[in-house]
Amino acid sequence: MSLLELRGISKSYGGVRAVDDVSFGIEPGTVHALVGENGAGKSTLVKLVTGVIQPDDGDLLIDGEPVWIGDAQTAHRLGIVAMYQEPTVFPDLSVAENVFAGRHPRSRLHTVDWRGMEDEAMRILRELGVDFGPGTPVRGLGVADRQLLEIAKALSTNARLLIMDEPTAALSPNEVDNLFATVRKLRERGVAVVYISHRLEEVAALADTVTVLRDGRHIDTKPAGELSQGEIIRLMVGRSLDALFPKEEAEIGDVVFRADGLTRRGVFADISFELRRGEIVGLAGFVGAGRTEVARSIFGVDPLDGGRIEIEGRPFRPRSPRAALRRGLAYLPEDRLHEGLVQPMSISDNTSMAVLPALTAGGFLRPRLERSLARRFMQQLSIKATSPAQVVRSLSGGNQQKVVLGKWLAAEPRILILDEPTHGVDVGTKADVHRTISHLAAQGLTILLISSELPEILGMSDRVLVMREGRLVTELSRDEATQENVIQAAAGVTEEAA
Amino acid sequence: MIARVRAMRPQELAAAAFRLREIGIVLALLVVIVFFGARASNFLSVSNWQDIAQNVSIVVVVAVGETMVVLTRNIDLSVGSIVGLCGYLVAATLAHHPGVPVEVVALIAMAAGLGLGLINGLLVAVARIPAIIATLATLAIYRGIDAEITGGKNITASQLPDRFLSLAASKPLGFPALAWIALGVAVVGAATLRFVPWARDFYAIGSNPDAARFAGIPAGRRIIIAFALSGALAGLGGFLFASRFPTLDSGAANGFELTVITAVVIGGVNVFGGSGTVLGVVLGAVLVATISNGFTLLRLDEFWKIFFNGFAIVAAVTIDSLVTRRLQEALRRRRAELLVPSPARADA
Amino acid sequence: MKSLTLRILLRWETLLVVAIIAVGIWSATLSPFFLNRANLLDLVTPYVFVGLMAFGLTFVVITGEIDISICSTLAASIVSFAQIFAAGVNVWAAALIGLCIAGGLGLVNGLLIGVLNLPSLAVTLGTLAAYSGLAFVVLSGEGVATFPESFTKYGGGYLAGNELPIALLVLVAFALGLGIVLHGTRFGRYLYAIGSNREAARLSGIPVTRVRVTVFVVSGLMAGIAGLVYVGYFGSARADAASTSLLDVVTAVVLGGVGIFGGTGSMPGVLLALILVAEVRSGMQLANLSGQLQNIVIGVLLLAAIVAGNLISAARTGSRPARLHRRRKGVTANARADAQVLVDSNP
Repeated sequence: MSLLELRGISKSYGGVRAVDDVSFGIEPGTVHALVGENGAGKSTLVKLVTGVIQPDDGDLLIDGEPVWIGDAQTAHRLGIVAMYQEPTVFPDLSVAENVFAGRHPRSRLHTVDWRGMEDEAMRILRELGVDFGPGTPVRGLGVADRQLLEIAKALSTNARLLIMDEPTAALSPNEVDNLFATVRKLRERGVAVVYISHRLEEVAALADTVTVLRDGRHIDTKPAGELSQGEIIRLMVGRSLDALFPKEEAEIGDVVFRADGLTRRGVFADISFELRRGEIVGLAGFVGAGRTEVARSIFGVDPLDGGRIEIEGRPFRPRSPRAALRRGLAYLPEDRLHEGLVQPMSISDNTSMAVLPALTAGGFLRPRLERSLARRFMQQLSIKATSPAQVVRSLSGGNQQKVVLGKWLAAEPRILILDEPTHGVDVGTKADVHRTISHLAAQGLTILLISSELPEILGMSDRVLVMREGRLVTELSRDEATQENVIQAAAGVTEEAA
Repeated sequence: MIARVRAMRPQELAAAAFRLREIGIVLALLVVIVFFGARASNFLSVSNWQDIAQNVSIVVVVAVGETMVVLTRNIDLSVGSIVGLCGYLVAATLAHHPGVPVEVVALIAMAAGLGLGLINGLLVAVARIPAIIATLATLAIYRGIDAEITGGKNITASQLPDRFLSLAASKPLGFPALAWIALGVAVVGAATLRFVPWARDFYAIGSNPDAARFAGIPAGRRIIIAFALSGALAGLGGFLFASRFPTLDSGAANGFELTVITAVVIGGVNVFGGSGTVLGVVLGAVLVATISNGFTLLRLDEFWKIFFNGFAIVAAVTIDSLVTRRLQEALRRRRAELLVPSPARADA
Repeated sequence: MKSLTLRILLRWETLLVVAIIAVGIWSATLSPFFLNRANLLDLVTPYVFVGLMAFGLTFVVITGEIDISICSTLAASIVSFAQIFAAGVNVWAAALIGLCIAGGLGLVNGLLIGVLNLPSLAVTLGTLAAYSGLAFVVLSGEGVATFPESFTKYGGGYLAGNELPIALLVLVAFALGLGIVLHGTRFGRYLYAIGSNREAARLSGIPVTRVRVTVFVVSGLMAGIAGLVYVGYFGSARADAASTSLLDVVTAVVLGGVGIFGGTGSMPGVLLALILVAEVRSGMQLANLSGQLQNIVIGVLLLAAIVAGNLISAARTGSRPARLHRRRKGVTANARADAQVLVDSNP
């Protein structure tokens, strides 16, 4: 009997089927890898299992019994714990207190039993083989140690199912080995570990079972030994590319953007590439490869430790987003809710936000101009809303994304960096956005398209750059690129392993 | 020394930074003592130090309560008004019922303070009014109630029983009675914050409110307790205040909250909550009181004290922030060295 | 979909107007003298300086910060002005210098909070004390009271046959001017954007640091201007000026519908709230309530304003409870887990 079984689980978000009739089981004492591209449905499943959201359809069974996981506390009680890339800790408290927060062991007098707490924490830490003690202030711990701390916390609550979401993203090779050893110990204890990772070599080394998801659907669940990395990739991407995008022919001109040796310590290194007028260059790679970070550094949001940038032949120092805008750069952020839009403001206000200096006369706002600007983009991008005055918060995800796109188009950039522009967006909007991108390129705009959706990358790009672990690993032309070789490069899988 | 710091592991760096605060205050205290000792003739006299001890005591008692509130990432601006109001209650009770035992009167003051603090707690945790606004309002409301009760009159020492008045002057074992009480409060406060489970929750709530909620800690209830304790201790502070300054009118302890908060901030309690010790706060209170006393002896205007309190708060917050940022930068750089992708990894 | 009239009726400003009328009726029952035209016009005059400070504070609060040092800034700037004037400098030149000082004090706040990213409550709590102490150092004791009428009339003078207070005109002029800046300029739009979502504002190319520093300078300057009106009205400059006015200023801002966490608020609302506060105080005066008792009422009013705001937004967005805690911003960057390091607190 499985520890956790999913039967026919489905979940939709605003018209998009994030998870579609997924069924598989997770056995205790196994490392069960969950693999799939971004948008395959992995994080939705995690949210369903940890009680953050509830399924529209289907059942979750624990030890054979159907359960309703209505909130995080319930999941906790059932022994389900999730660990994310950013460990949740109390930075001001010690390790022991972090492990036992809110459930301090009590002495006979009902006071906090510090000795007992630290001894128990010590026991767990030793079992995990970590090199820090229970009294260590957590503020001094790095990400790897904080992850181990979270595992210790999970162990102390007798977790039965531990979900790890991309745990090795921020770890050094040594720390990865350490983590693996810990995971194996967990397995020996009978804990089921759901290991979500795009690093297929890790999956090969660690997992007992592999489940592949694609586009919200369950593709296959097999013992790890029966699947080679190449086969996993084929299952991940094995879709027909009929739904190709209407890419217009664009005349590709001179180099307008040149990056040389861009480096940000600890994040990415030696990134060099060129962009030409009218080109759409796709930037592929898994989450954690550093693509967004490169974009943010180019746009002046995050610092750059080394390297040179030239825009239209002249050097450019990305001191701030304002400076970048003035040189004709625009960046559409990955997180539209928190970085792209000011939610309580109207479509009109959001659309004009990056171009206010141009839309104001002597500092004074001209609402009529703003409204007509908004209306122009509402029409051009087919934004469905009652009027430019409608508050952005009340729009659907797809329409929100279009507003963000409109905001950046309003800035009339010459180089547009799009970061996951169709993430979490319905099919209709996707098509609209693709049509727009293609049209812009045809008109002479240069586009750097960061995307985790292979069909999108392959369909839209004239060239595909692939990043992995903070480096640019390969460049493929439109004809050369296939789903397999892009993912292979992104995952670092060589031909032999395929 | 720089080399040794560089060689320290991140955990050790952080732990060292923890202890730095108390050492820093003690050092500053020594500097201050040397400075004033040289300039003011009677600075180092026993009677002066007993004076300082008396002043510090009242601040410490109230500051322990304020600390609990600040630990939860809130603030209590109304403590000055509570001190004044409860102080007056104490004096009024004793003036009209001189037979009541002193201990009982102290308890009455604490009970009244507890009630006032409870109101603060409910306003913040239940009515969801941000603490700054809530306690700014209650600062005025409680002060207004105080004014109404005093009715423009004041109570003078002559109306109070000797038993009470002698409390401030008595020095059991050579140490002022008020200081003993403050010491007791500090010890109990420190013990509570260390050993009582719901008090440990204050730290968690201030350190990461979302994580605290997720861990099942009932933040609302804990915050109410914190404010209630702050009020109760402010009530006790009012009792001590009345014993030390027995002529009380409605303006008593006006602005006292500033002194208390200065002691708390200098004492190393993070304004965002989550960290801070009673020891630090006591040292902070001693430092503030010593400087204040030194100013008086040097015949500087009262107002320099107020200026200094303000300057100290800004300086403490600035230094804390810069140190934290330096620490994070150092740790980040350490991490970056471990993490630079090696060429071998980049090959497909 | 609510009808237009209903939406106008449910606006905060409308509620304020209703409250003003209600309190007016109550005051009229206390004394028929209340409805005398001269009295009505003079209602707000003693609180014009409060209103001017509230306008400045509004700018700060909309960006998501707080400035409780304004009353001390007022005091420090007017005593400096007074001492300079007493030393023989022309009153207008001295006033200008006082204003510069006020702006400078605001700049200090702005640099600490906007550039160093220190928490605004702690910083302005400190500067509240520091500036107040400085004010007393500059001018302790009795204060200066020898200002020429050409100056004091702006605070205490009247036009139109002794009925129209000039101070009221000053108040309305600033309300209009600052209101236009807030609602009609891109600077104002920047304030709302930063208050609602600082990161998105930054990514949109808005000069966030510069704006945040500027709002504190504005707050300081408005305190300085309020100080000049204060001197005009009360006739003297003392170091303890406005020391008890913080409650009224904050109440005017909060009651005016300015969201304490930033991103919302309107200048007309604050003006109406100020009128309401002035009216309530004046009414209480008529009812012979002491100043301290009035403070209790204003304090309760402040609390009620927030609770009302909470209830309204809960009803509007379907019970999303108000934030219980401030977010920690500034000390740590918005960490991205991919290969980046310590996250100390929730982004």
